[in-house]
Amino acid sequence: MSEWLNQAITQAQGVSDWLSPKRDLALSALADIRWPTRKTEAWKYTSLRPVEKFSKEAPAAFTSTSTLTQIQGFECLDLVFENGQFVTDLAALTLPEGLSIQLASQADASKQAEVLAKFSSIKPERHVFGLLNDALVQDVLVIEVADNVSVAPAIRLTSILGLAAQAHTRVLVVLGEHAKLTVSEHYQGNEESLNTGFVEYEIGADARLEHYRFALQTGKAVSLGGSHFQLAERADLNSTLVGFGSDLSRVDVDMVHAGENAFAKMNAFYLLDGKELFDLHATVEHAVPHGTTEENIRIIAADQAKAVFNGRIHIHRDAQKTLAELNNRNLLMSNKAEINTKPELEIYADDVRCAHGATVAEIDKKALYYMQSRGISRAKAQVMLNFGFINELIDQMPNQELAEWLRPQMREKFSQMEVK
Amino acid sequence: MTDQIDKALEREYEAGFVSDVESDTFEPGLDENVIRRISTMKNEPEWMLEARLKAFKVWQEMEEPDWAHVDYEKIDFQAISYFSAPKSMKDKPKSLDEVDPELIRTYEKLGIPLIEQQMLAGVAVDAVFDSVSVVTTFREKLSEAGVIFCPISEAIQNHPELVKKYLGSVVPTKDNYYAALNCAVFTDGSFVYIPKGTRCPMELSTYFRINEQNTGQFERTLIIADEGSHVSYLEGCTAPQRDENQLHAAVVELVALDDAEIKYSTVQNWYPGDENGKGGIYNFVTKRGICHTNAKISWTQVETGSAVTWKYPSCVLKGDNSVGEFYSVALTRGAQQADTGTKMIHLGKNTKSTIISKGISAGRSNNSYRGLVRMNPGADGARNFTQCDSLLIGDQCGAHTFPYVESRNPSAIVEHEATTSKVSDDQMFLCQQRGLDPEKAVSMIVNGFCKEVFKELPMEFAVEAGKLLEISLEGSVG
Repeated sequence: MSEWLNQAITQAQGVSDWLSPKRDLALSALADIRWPTRKTEAWKYTSLRPVEKFSKEAPAAFTSTSTLTQIQGFECLDLVFENGQFVTDLAALTLPEGLSIQLASQADASKQAEVLAKFSSIKPERHVFGLLNDALVQDVLVIEVADNVSVAPAIRLTSILGLAAQAHTRVLVVLGEHAKLTVSEHYQGNEESLNTGFVEYEIGADARLEHYRFALQTGKAVSLGGSHFQLAERADLNSTLVGFGSDLSRVDVDMVHAGENAFAKMNAFYLLDGKELFDLHATVEHAVPHGTTEENIRIIAADQAKAVFNGRIHIHRDAQKTLAELNNRNLLMSNKAEINTKPELEIYADDVRCAHGATVAEIDKKALYYMQSRGISRAKAQVMLNFGFINELIDQMPNQELAEWLRPQMREKFSQMEVK
Repeated sequence: MTDQIDKALEREYEAGFVSDVESDTFEPGLDENVIRRISTMKNEPEWMLEARLKAFKVWQEMEEPDWAHVDYEKIDFQAISYFSAPKSMKDKPKSLDEVDPELIRTYEKLGIPLIEQQMLAGVAVDAVFDSVSVVTTFREKLSEAGVIFCPISEAIQNHPELVKKYLGSVVPTKDNYYAALNCAVFTDGSFVYIPKGTRCPMELSTYFRINEQNTGQFERTLIIADEGSHVSYLEGCTAPQRDENQLHAAVVELVALDDAEIKYSTVQNWYPGDENGKGGIYNFVTKRGICHTNAKISWTQVETGSAVTWKYPSCVLKGDNSVGEFYSVALTRGAQQADTGTKMIHLGKNTKSTIISKGISAGRSNNSYRGLVRMNPGADGARNFTQCDSLLIGDQCGAHTFPYVESRNPSAIVEHEATTSKVSDDQMFLCQQRGLDPEKAVSMIVNGFCKEVFKELPMEFAVEAGKLLEISLEGSVG
């Protein structure tokens, strides 16, 4: 068992507040859990050394070289965590009708009871750091959209980590029936820090969620978190996940089809360089019939980077007429880098159509040759081809402003890759 | 006739297996003494005993793996008897009338001749000796070619240099829990050596190795194909085999030296247990081959039996330009559980591997494909293609795919594809409309689904395998 985990548990044990019932549950689960090692299936390729070694004294005040990013033309409501503390003045925000944002600690008892009931009901118990987050969070940010309300501005959740920070954030998003919302999660800060950031989404019947998670922490930042979705009848989820690697970056995504005829789409791509590591575990649960899932994952790993992907599709016993597809394509740029991918299918219903495909290769030599033969330098041609590989997914992002903001960053990352 | 019997018995004695221990069966339990006794029984040299004892120590420190997608009652290793000499004639059923009629019906459907039926069912008759004469001709032909094909216990006595060099070189003692157990307690198995540049004159089959029935539950096979040689080896048979041992933990090692080729085909149809899988065989096998430069190893398997199967025939592609292949049909029905697949470890340059896996699940069974493709940093220009297809028959079964892809070489190309589908109503309608009954239609569709794998099997085997699937699927439609 890790020293760090013991400390975390001791820290959580002393706290008593409205969240205590859930915290106690998490603590008792943690007491029985085996600290993941390379023999633990979910952590086979990802070492937890950076967490075990993390022993920074908590800083007195928040300092970070990272600031809130400006995204041109992106209309949004900003909700900001600094070192895990929620710092946005909610009273100063003007919210559109039908949208409510509050901290659960400041809500009335009945609301707190409601939040407690939903807390960790969507995020599965098997995520160790999810349990830790359960035990260590002090508050829950609750975002709710009433039935039949379409919220025009996007909601941007930004978590900025400063040097030596240890932060745990938790958000619950609830979309009523026929509601519409865009949420963009941003994780920033490249200094040595550790954070767990989990968001649970309950998507009501006929509701539509456009979701982004930008896990862009690099360097010594240790980032562990997840986005977890539950879809009611005919709900529609369109999610995009973008990752840069760090010493340890791990994201767990769960999509649960709880109502029939729901549609879930996830596009994910990550670009890794240096000694970066990024690990995505995505699980889709088809618990009811007539669900549809589409996943596209693309990875580029250069230098000595390590990419891990696990995509599990689980079709339950009676989930007939499910359509599920997963497509994973990977580019490996160096023979010191590695890509470990595992698309899984677990199927207990017979009338379904499920498929997955995975490829690992380098850039097409013929394409490279073709471009060079037309006078483009090899390095430049490589950047272009790499960019094209990822850009196919950027093009699918429903929000053009976010896509425009992302492209130059990708380009820069690619040209850096080539210099080495 | 009596003369013949006596002669045949003598031959068994020659083989050194059925000796004065005939009536011996060890008390259940496992400790160092049991291992010493096994070793003494087999009159083994000191080094073999040491290897066994070392393996036993390793095994004691290991934990039983639980990662496979199978569910079974924990095995009590102390309740198993680790040595049981072959049954003497008087213990065996006197005639086919004493054998489970269900078994006989299956034999008849498979078109197995009466004599072979009796042999398979373990009936004590002298008809078996018909095949003994076949064996003799076989042996003569093989020794002419310089091929060594004998029980491994015999090889330990007569070819210790080969056994010492290669035994455990592909599957090390510490490899996994069941392999370690096998290293400690294996009783017998096959040994094959094909000399340099030799093409084995015939397909080798365990079926023709006279004391096959006695290999017991911990079988050990070692096949060495020396430089430039070629061999095709068949294991098992389509007929359901009677077997008292519930746990089978075999280890098979293949060594293909430079430019050699080994083709290993398996048809496994052990007792799957009753409706709830009770009493069925647990088949926990470790099979692995190593390919040196330009060598090729091809695994083909048709798995229809056993209550629980845990089996991953693998290739270590060590030499440049070596080739690994895996073709598999796994059919589960009733309460059967299979977790099977392969590992392709690419170490050398321009190594190639192909994986074709067809899983068919019916009844309440669970069928998993679990595979690993690893491209090491040195595997420049390596190539893998994997396709696993699952077919579901009925809504109470499960089909699962767990492929691991690990690439560390940018010039290596890995492709993996998996699909899951059911026998479609359209296909059924088309067949039925043309006058086929539903059962025939399903078996035809399934046969088509498995065609890619069947064509890799030796001819007679392929025909039998097709029939076997047909019989196995009986009653799963409708």
